[in-house]
Amino acid sequence: MSRAADLLPGTLDLLILKALSLGPQHGYGVLLRIEQISGNRFQIEQGALYPALYRLEHQGLLEAEWGTSENNRRAKYYRLTAAGRRRLAEETAGWQRLVAAMSAALAARAGEVR
Amino acid sequence: MAYRPAIFARIRNSWQALRHRGRWERELEAELRSHVEHRAADLVRTGLPPEAAERQARVELGAREAYKEQCRGAHGLRWPDELRQDLRYAVRILRHSPGFTAVALLSLALGIGVNMSVFSVINALLLKPLAVASPGDLYFVQTNQFPTNSFPNYRDLRDRNSTFSALAAYRQAPMGLVNGGGAQRIWGYLATGNYFDTLGIRPVLGRFFHAEDDRQPGASPFAVLSHACWHDRFGADPRIAGKTVRINSLPYTVLGVAPPGFHGTELFFWPEVWVPMAMQPRIEGRSWLEERGTSNALVVGRLRRGVTPRRAEEDLNAIIADLARDFPIWNQGLKLTLAQPGLVGDALRNPARAFTGGVMALAALVLLTACANLASLLSARAADRDRELAIRLSIGAGRARIARQLVAESLLLSLAGGAVGCGLAAAVLRLLSRWRAPLDFPVRFEVGADGKVFAFAFTVAMLTGLLFSIAPLRQVARADVNHALKGLPSATARARRWAARDLLLAVQVVLCCVLVTASFVALRGLARSLATPLGFAPRGVAVAGFELGLAGYGEEDGRTFQRRALAAAAGLPGVSAAAYADSVPLSIDQSTTVVFRQDAVDFRAAEAKKAAYYQVSPGYFQAIGTRLLAGRDFTWRDDRTAPPVAVVNAAFARQVIGTSAAVGRRFRRGRNRPLVEIIGVVEDGKYVSLTEAARPALFLPIVQSYNSETMLIVRSQIPASEMALQLRGTVARLDPRLPVHGTGSLAQMLGFAFFPARAATLALGVFGLLAIMLAATGIYGLAAYSVSRRVREIGIRVAVGARPGQVLRFVLGRTILLLAAGSVVGLALGLAASRVLASVVYLASPRDPLVLPATAFTMVLIGLGAALPPARRALDIDPVRALRQE
Repeated sequence: MSRAADLLPGTLDLLILKALSLGPQHGYGVLLRIEQISGNRFQIEQGALYPALYRLEHQGLLEAEWGTSENNRRAKYYRLTAAGRRRLAEETAGWQRLVAAMSAALAARAGEVR
Repeated sequence: MAYRPAIFARIRNSWQALRHRGRWERELEAELRSHVEHRAADLVRTGLPPEAAERQARVELGAREAYKEQCRGAHGLRWPDELRQDLRYAVRILRHSPGFTAVALLSLALGIGVNMSVFSVINALLLKPLAVASPGDLYFVQTNQFPTNSFPNYRDLRDRNSTFSALAAYRQAPMGLVNGGGAQRIWGYLATGNYFDTLGIRPVLGRFFHAEDDRQPGASPFAVLSHACWHDRFGADPRIAGKTVRINSLPYTVLGVAPPGFHGTELFFWPEVWVPMAMQPRIEGRSWLEERGTSNALVVGRLRRGVTPRRAEEDLNAIIADLARDFPIWNQGLKLTLAQPGLVGDALRNPARAFTGGVMALAALVLLTACANLASLLSARAADRDRELAIRLSIGAGRARIARQLVAESLLLSLAGGAVGCGLAAAVLRLLSRWRAPLDFPVRFEVGADGKVFAFAFTVAMLTGLLFSIAPLRQVARADVNHALKGLPSATARARRWAARDLLLAVQVVLCCVLVTASFVALRGLARSLATPLGFAPRGVAVAGFELGLAGYGEEDGRTFQRRALAAAAGLPGVSAAAYADSVPLSIDQSTTVVFRQDAVDFRAAEAKKAAYYQVSPGYFQAIGTRLLAGRDFTWRDDRTAPPVAVVNAAFARQVIGTSAAVGRRFRRGRNRPLVEIIGVVEDGKYVSLTEAARPALFLPIVQSYNSETMLIVRSQIPASEMALQLRGTVARLDPRLPVHGTGSLAQMLGFAFFPARAATLALGVFGLLAIMLAATGIYGLAAYSVSRRVREIGIRVAVGARPGQVLRFVLGRTILLLAAGSVVGLALGLAASRVLASVVYLASPRDPLVLPATAFTMVLIGLGAALPPARRALDIDPVRALRQE
C-alpha cells in the first residue's frame, strides 16, 4: 500500500458525492467504495462518515431511504439528487483547477522565474 | 437552484426532525447499528469469531456519541437540547442563591408590574376605541366655549353639513325607573333617533329606536335597556321587548336591549337606559330643545368616506359662521373642532393625557431604578463567578456557548420577573376596576389587560433581560482563565477606581431621591389643598338629594313637598340648621348663568359675565356654613309676589358690580329680564374645582324660581353619615315612591373635587415607596457584596489593630460616598422636576421649607437601614477565621 495521505478538510464531502454518483449505497458501502476508488490511500475514521452524510442530506444534495442490503439486513441507502450531481460537477472542476495550478507552481524551475 | 429555497428546505427538514424526534433518534441508532453489523459480517468473513468481530467493528466506528451529537448538529437538532440544558443550569444556579433571586425577581416584578398597570390604564383610556362599528370614523364635535352644543345649532349642523354621513346628539340625564323593586334613580342617555344607526351596533334583543321614532316631542315613549340593566333589574327577561316600564311616572315601551360591552359614547359614564331626545321635556321637566342659548347636547358624528377631519371642521365652521350671522347673541365667536369620542371631547382627554403621561414617566423611572438595581446586583454576582467561568472555559466550553448560557439565565430571570409582574398588575387593575365613584354617579373605569398590554410586558421583560446580559457577557469576553483559576481577582478589576457597579448605584440613588422629593412636594401640596378655605364648612353637614320630576311632581306639588321635607328634617333631634338647594358647590351638578350690569346695552353672550348659580332656600348659608359679609339672608317672604332678589359672593360684587358694597345694587340676567336686587354678600369660595381662581357666584331664592332637583342640607351634632340615613328615612316616610340619591356627609360628596389631587399624591406616594424599596435593596446588596469580597482584607486590618470606625470606613466608605453624592444630585433634580408637579398638584410648591430636610432625612434613613446589617457583619468578623478563609 502506498503511504496514507491526510484528508484535507472538505474533501470528505467531495469523496462521498463521487462515491454515490456511481450508484446508491448505504453508509458502510460508501466507506468501502471510497476506500476502493482512492486505492486505499485515505484512512477515514468510520464514524466520521455519518455527520458528513447527514450534513449533505440536510443541504439537499443527498436523499435517503431505508432498504435491504445484500446481507439481507436493513440499511439506510443514500442517493445523489440533481442538486448533488451539480455540486459534484462544480467541486470536481474546482478541484481540478486547484490541482492544475498547484502542479504548475510546484513544477517551477529556477530558470523560469524572475 | 436559487439560494433561498435551500434555506426553507433546511428549516422544514429540521422542523420535521424535531416533531418526530423519537423516530429520528431511533433511525440514527439503527443506521449506526447496521453499519457495525455490516463491518462485523466482513470481519467474520476474514476469520474472526463473531464476538471479537462485533467488538472490533464497534471500536472501529469510533466515538459513537460524539458522532451522534455531530449528526444532531448537522440536522439542526442541537439547539433545543442546548437550550434545555442552559435553562436547567440557570434554574439550579438561581436556586443556589435564593436571596439574590428573590431580590431580583421582586425588583423586576415591581418595575414591570407598575409599567403594565400604567400602560393598561393608558390603553383603556386613550388607546382603546369605542365598542362601535368602525370607530375610526367617529368624531366628537365640541366648541371652543363648551364641550356641548345647543340643540338648535345641532339640528342646523345635521341638516346643512356635507361632510358627515350622520350626526347624532345625546345627553346624560338622571331618570326615575319603577320596576318590581320600587323606585330607583338611574342614569340614562337622551339620544336622538339616529344615535344607534350612527354608531352601527346591533341589539342583542328586540330593536333600537330610529329617526322616525324621535319625531314627536313628548310623544316618543320608547326605551332601550343596557345589557347590565336588563340583566340586573329585569332578570334578563327574554320577553322584555314590548313590555312597559315607568320612567318618571310615565309609561315607556321597551324596544330592545343593547349588546353587552356597549356603554354609550362616553368611556366613564355607563348609562342604564336610552330614551329618544324628543322625550327630553318629560324627563327633565323643562325643554331646552329650542333654546339656542342652552348648550346641553353632546354631539358625535361619522365622517363620510374619504373626508378628512380638517375638511369636516371647515365645513361645520362655515355653517356656524352663518348661524353667528343669524343669531349673533348666542353664536358670536363660536368655533367648532373635532376630537376623539369617549372623553367628552378634549375636556377630559387633555387632563387624562397629562396625568397618564406623568404617571407613565414615573413608572419608567421606577423601571429604570429596578434595572439599575438588578444590573448592579448581577454584575456583582458576575464578578463572583470568575472562577466558575474559568473552569468551564478551561475544560473546553466555547465562549459562545457560555455567553448563550448567561443570556439564557438573564432572560429566564427577567421573564420570571415579568410573569410575577403581570400577576401584580392584574391584581392592581382589578382593584382599580372595582373603584366606584362616591354617591352613585355611574362612573366606572374598565381597565383590563388585553393582548396589547401583555405584548408590551413581554417586550419589556425581554429587553431588560438582554440588557442585563451585557455585564456578564463582557466578563466572558475578557475572562483571563489562568488568573481566575489561581483565585486572583482579574487584573482589570484593580485598575479601575470606579466600576460600572458604583455608577449604577449612584444612578439608583439619584432616581430614588427624585421620586422621594416629588412625593414630599405632592404630599405637602395635598395637605395644603385640603386646608384651602372652601367658602363653606363641610364638617358636620349631611345631605340627601331627590329629583321631584322623577316621581311626577309638578311645580306646585313640588314646592309643597319641599317645604314639608324641610320641616321634617329640621324637626329631627340634634339638628341645628336645615335648608334645601338645587345643588351644593363642588358637587358634580354645577350650573353657570350669564349676568349683565344694570346699565348694560350690549346683550351679546360674549359680553356677559358668567357666574355660578344656585337656587337656595332661606337658612341655606347658615346650614352650609357660608359667612354673610353684608346685608341679609333670604326669608320666606321673598316669594313669587315679591321683587326678584339675590345674594352674591364677594367676587361677584367686585367683578360684576364693581364694588364690594353691592347691597342694594341691581343687575339683569338678560335683555328682557327684570332687574334683580342684591340683598346680601357672602364670602368667596370654591364652586367648580379646587384650583379655580375667584369666580362670581349668585344665589337665588328657590321660592322665586322653582327647581325640582332638591338637596336637603342639614347641620347637626350627630355624625353626618347617621344623619344622612335619617334624612333618607324622613323623605321615604313622606313619599315612598320618590327615589332618594346622593345621601351622605358633605365631606364624602366633596370626594369628587379632591379626586385629582388625591390620585396624583397616591400615585407619587406609591412610586416613592417603590423607589425607596429598590434603593434600599440596592444599597444593601452592594454593601453586603463589598463586605463579603473583602473578608480577608478586613481580617488582616483588624488583626493589625484597626479600630471599628476605621474598618467601617474602609468597607462602607465608598457606598456612603455614593449615597451622599447621589442624594445631592437627586435633590437638585427633584426640586427642578417638582416645578412640573406644581401644575398638577394644587398648591404644590418646590420651595416648601419642609421638603429638603424631609428628603435628606429619608435618604439618611435608607442608607443607615440598608447598610446596617452588612456593617454589623463587617464588625463581627473574627480575624483568625477570616485569615484562614480562602
